[in-house]
Amino acid sequence: MAGVASPGCASCAEHRTQSLVRLGLSPDRWDTLIALAGNPNTGKSTVFNALTGLRQHTGNWPGKTVVRAEGAFEHAGKRVKIVDLPGTYSLQAGSTDEEVARDFILFGRPDVTVVVVDATRLERNLNLVLQILEITDRVVVFLNLMDEARRHGIGIDPAKLEKELGVPVVAGVARQNAGIAELIATAADVSAGKRKTSPLRVVRYAPDVERAVSELLPVVESVYPEVPNARWVALRLLNADEAVQEAVRSGELGQLSSSAGDAVPTIPPELERQRLLEAATRLRWDLPADFHDVVTQHSYEAAERVARAAEVSGLKRAGFAFDRTLDRALTSRTLGFHLMLLILAVVFWITIQGANVPSSMLAALLIDDGHTWLKGLAASMGIPWWLDGFVLDGVYLATAWVVSVMLPPMAIFFPVFTLLEDFGYLPRVAFNLDSLFKKAGAHGKQALTMCMGFGCNAAGVVATRVIDSPRERLIAIITNNFSLCNGRWPTQILIATIFIGALAPASLGGVVSAAAVVGIALLGVTMMFVSSWLLSRTVLRGEATSFSLELPPYRPPRILQTLYTSVIDRTLIVLWRAVVFAAPAGAAIWLISNITVGGGTLADHLVGWLNPFGLLLGLNGVILLAYVVAIPANEIVIPTVLMLTVLTTGVAGGSGAGVMFDTESAGATEAILRAGGWTLLTGVNLMLFSLLHNPCSTTIYTIFRETRSAKWTTVATVLPLAMGFVVCFLVAQVWRLVGGV
Amino acid sequence: MELRLPSIPLNQTVELIHIDLPAEQAEPLMERGVLPGCRICPVRSSPSGDPIISVDGALLALRRETAACLCVRLLSASGVTSLQDAS
Repeated sequence: MAGVASPGCASCAEHRTQSLVRLGLSPDRWDTLIALAGNPNTGKSTVFNALTGLRQHTGNWPGKTVVRAEGAFEHAGKRVKIVDLPGTYSLQAGSTDEEVARDFILFGRPDVTVVVVDATRLERNLNLVLQILEITDRVVVFLNLMDEARRHGIGIDPAKLEKELGVPVVAGVARQNAGIAELIATAADVSAGKRKTSPLRVVRYAPDVERAVSELLPVVESVYPEVPNARWVALRLLNADEAVQEAVRSGELGQLSSSAGDAVPTIPPELERQRLLEAATRLRWDLPADFHDVVTQHSYEAAERVARAAEVSGLKRAGFAFDRTLDRALTSRTLGFHLMLLILAVVFWITIQGANVPSSMLAALLIDDGHTWLKGLAASMGIPWWLDGFVLDGVYLATAWVVSVMLPPMAIFFPVFTLLEDFGYLPRVAFNLDSLFKKAGAHGKQALTMCMGFGCNAAGVVATRVIDSPRERLIAIITNNFSLCNGRWPTQILIATIFIGALAPASLGGVVSAAAVVGIALLGVTMMFVSSWLLSRTVLRGEATSFSLELPPYRPPRILQTLYTSVIDRTLIVLWRAVVFAAPAGAAIWLISNITVGGGTLADHLVGWLNPFGLLLGLNGVILLAYVVAIPANEIVIPTVLMLTVLTTGVAGGSGAGVMFDTESAGATEAILRAGGWTLLTGVNLMLFSLLHNPCSTTIYTIFRETRSAKWTTVATVLPLAMGFVVCFLVAQVWRLVGGV
Repeated sequence: MELRLPSIPLNQTVELIHIDLPAEQAEPLMERGVLPGCRICPVRSSPSGDPIISVDGALLALRRETAACLCVRLLSASGVTSLQDAS
C-alpha cells in the first residue's frame, strides 16, 4: 500500500537524519542526540552552556531563546549533539515556539530529552514535563536552581520526584556547574537504553474519552504508520488541536516523520487524510463539550499532586524580601518612572563618555595611520590613481569609519544593557511602561525592543521575537526606528554642540546641547507611541492582547560571561552586517565625487538637483545626498556631509574628492558648515531629520528577514521618512514665517 | 457575591475560582500557574494601577483588564491559618 514503508526503515539512522535535516538541523555526524526543553527563565540556556561550553547568551527574560541553538560535546568517546529548544510553558497552545519545540520532540526523535525544571516553581514546570512524557519515554529531568529554592525555603526531594515521574531526576545548579556531570552520565544511560524509564502517563481520562481514543487510534496508525506516538496524535485530534489538524490536512505529519529516500510517495492520499480528520470530528461529537477543559484540568491536577509528593515540608520560607524591597522602588508609582529614566540616562552617559577615547584611538589607527600607510604602499607599488582611490579612499575609508565610530559604543552599550537584562531589570521596565503601550494598542514587551533600539535598530528588530502576537510584533518592528540608535548619537551631539550649545553662554553650552540631544531622543519615543497608536487604529487594527508578564527574581549578573557573550552575540554580528553594507557605500561616495559629466562631478549635479527640495525642507542638497549614500550606515553621514560641502562649495579644507574626513575640532567643522550656507535652522532640521528618516540598510534588511514581507518592509522604511519630510517642512515654514533665517 | 481580583486589597491572599476569559486567553495564564483553586495575592500595583500578583512563588504582572477577569473568593479563617503555617 502506498505510503507504508517497512517498520525497519523508520528506525534506521539514515531515515532519521533526513527528517532532522527537514527540521532544520545541520546534518553533521553524532552518536547521541539530546533535546533540551524547559519553561522560559529556568536557566535552560545556562544548562546548555554548561553542557557544551559554547557561550550562548542567556537572558533573565522570559522567552529569550527563540532561535534554536545547537552545540556538541564528547562523552565517553561518543559525539553528543544537543539542541536547545525554545523555552515554552506548554506544547499545545500553538505559538511558533511551542510548535518548534513540539515538532522537534515528536518528529526529530531525540535519543533523550532533557527537561530543565525550575525548582522554585516545581508545580508549574511539571505541566511541561508531563506533556513531554506523553510524547516520549526517554526523558531526564534536570532540577535546576536548587540553591535559589533553598534560599526561598523550598525543599524538593529528587528521589521522590523521580519515583513519581518514573524518569531520572538530577538536581543541580547550572550556574555553578553543579549536577552537570551527573546529568550527562544519566542522559547517556537513558539514551543507550541502560536505564529503563516508566514515565507517568496520566491514563486517567473518563471511559468515553478512552473509548474515542481507542477507536481513533487504528485510523491514525493506518494513515500514518510511521508517526512515533499515535495515541498522542489521536488525543490531539480529538482535542481539535489546530496545528495537528493542519499537519494531517497538509500531509506534513507524514513528511516530517518519513524518509526522503523512499521510492513511494510519503504523503498518504488525500482521501485517507480526509478519512482520519472526519473520524476525529465524528468521535469528537460524542465527547462532552468541556472535554478540552477536562484534559487540561487533569494534567494540572497531576502536576499539583506530583509537586506535593516531592516537596519537603517544614522548611522555613525566607520569602522574597530582597526582591520585594527592590521592586517596591523600581516599580513604584512615584519613583519607578524617575529611576527608569535615571538608569537609562546613566547607561547612555557611560556609553557616550566611555566610547570617546577608544573611538578616537581606533580612528587614529585605522584612518590616520592605516589609511596613510596603505596610500603610501599603493603609491610605491605604482597602482593607478583610480583603483587606489576607489579601494582605499572609497571602500576602505568607509569601512574604517563605521568600525571606529560604531564598535566602541556598541561594545559598551550592549554589555551594560545585557547586565541589566541579566539582573532582571528589563521586565520591570516593560511593566512600568505597559500602560502607555496598552493605550497605543501595542505590546508591553515593546519597551524592551525600544530600549534595545537605542543601541542598534537592527538588534531591536530582532529582539521583537519575544512578542508573540503577530500584530503587536509588526508594530514594534515598524516603530523601532524611532529609537535613536548609536549610529545617530554622534551626529546629534556634534550638531547640537555647534548650533544649539553655541546659543547659550559658554559655561552652559555642554548642558544645553546634551539637553537638546535628550530632547530629540524623547521626541523619538513620543513619535514611537504616536505611530504605534496610529498603526493600531488603521492598518494594524486590533486591541492589545491580554498580557501577563512574569517578573523573574533578581539574579546577580555574571559580569565576565556577560561581557564575553554580548560582545560576541550582539556587537560583532551587528558590526559585521554594518561593515558589509558600508563598504559599497564608500565605493558609491568615491564614484559620484570622481566621475565627471559635462563639466562637473556627479556629486555636483546631484547636489544641485536636490538643493531646491533640500532648502524647502530647511536642509540642503548636500545633506539629502549624504543621506542617500549613507543609507547603509548612519555613522558616515557627517564625514560625507563635510566632504561633499568642501567638494561642491570649494571651501578650503578636506582631503580630496571622494575622501571622507572629519575635522580635528567642532570649531573647524563649524567653519566648513557655515561656509556651506548652514544656519541654525539647518542644524535643527538636520537633528530632526537624523531622527526621522528611513532606517539604515542593515535594519531594512533585518526587517525583511524578520517579517518576510516586502509590504511591511516598505512601510517601515517609508513611514519615518515621510514623517521626517513633513516635520522638517513644517518647521522650516514656521521658522521663516516667524522671521528666523 | 462574586469578587474580582481588582477589589482585593494588597497583600490579602485569595483563592482563584474561575478565569472569565476565552480558553485561548486563559491558557497562557494557567500555564504560568494561575489555576482555579490556586492562591493568589496582589502584592503591588504599577504606576498606572496594573497589579502584580504572587502566584506559586512567582511574581506575575497583569493588565487591569485581565485582573478583572479573575473571579476569586476570600479564604475562610481556617484557610488563612493553614497558609500561615505553610509559610
